[in-house]
Amino acid sequence: MSGPASLRLAKGPLAGPVLCRVVSMVLARADCPVDRLDDALLACEEITTHGLGYVADGHLSVTLNAGKDQLEVRIGELTERGAEGMLAAAMVPGVGNVLERVTDEQRVEPAKDGGAEELVLAISF
Amino acid sequence: MMGEAMPTVREAADVTLLLPARPENVAIVRHALGALGEVLEVDAQTLSDIRLAVTEACTNVVVHAYPDGSEGPLEVLATLAGEELTVVVRDEGEGITPRPDSPGLGLGLPLIASLAEKVQLGHDAQKRTEVRMTFSLASMAA
Repeated sequence: MSGPASLRLAKGPLAGPVLCRVVSMVLARADCPVDRLDDALLACEEITTHGLGYVADGHLSVTLNAGKDQLEVRIGELTERGAEGMLAAAMVPGVGNVLERVTDEQRVEPAKDGGAEELVLAISF
Repeated sequence: MMGEAMPTVREAADVTLLLPARPENVAIVRHALGALGEVLEVDAQTLSDIRLAVTEACTNVVVHAYPDGSEGPLEVLATLAGEELTVVVRDEGEGITPRPDSPGLGLGLPLIASLAEKVQLGHDAQKRTEVRMTFSLASMAA
């Protein structure tokens, strides 16, 4: 594995595409099947689309940690109850919650570095 | 310019990437720059120049910054201001010094200088080594 990859992304058009490219590289190196890679990219789009609305200072931090069969995505610098807001924003009528459907685990943790809390997602493959 | 303390752009950067300084992670930086180029509609030649210069700077970090086998961070920051893209490659290693035992050809910094509009070598406020490259995106319309 190539070690954890951390990104800090400003609000704007670069955030989504850059995160998707980095996630693709990290998962490709971890031999993730293409279907789960696609799920992960869908999660990335949700993260950057909705996450930037719940950040404390205009920047979203994302830490990627790929293991043998799982990717942990830690989304930080969120405002208080920002993680809950992000999850709620991923609800699509008639489809359900996109983040809950494509990830295996969602949990909220107190912030370690900036902001009030972190949303931690796990994607198994 | 060398040895001058430069202000950190971490807070202002549009994209910051922090990775362990390993050879395989240079490719991640290159792909992230590819996404950036696509969104900004940078022409192929300009994007190629940016990717090559930044790859050289990152490779310098991987090869030279932590020579005793220890692992350290490779940080890349990209900031867009008008028609200028500034990319900073930063490490916490030994700094940029001549190495008679260097495994490379020593072409990295001259190559970067020829590809970027402006190059600054120095340190940020935390004394981390920085290569700061500024690229003009205005030329892409020419």
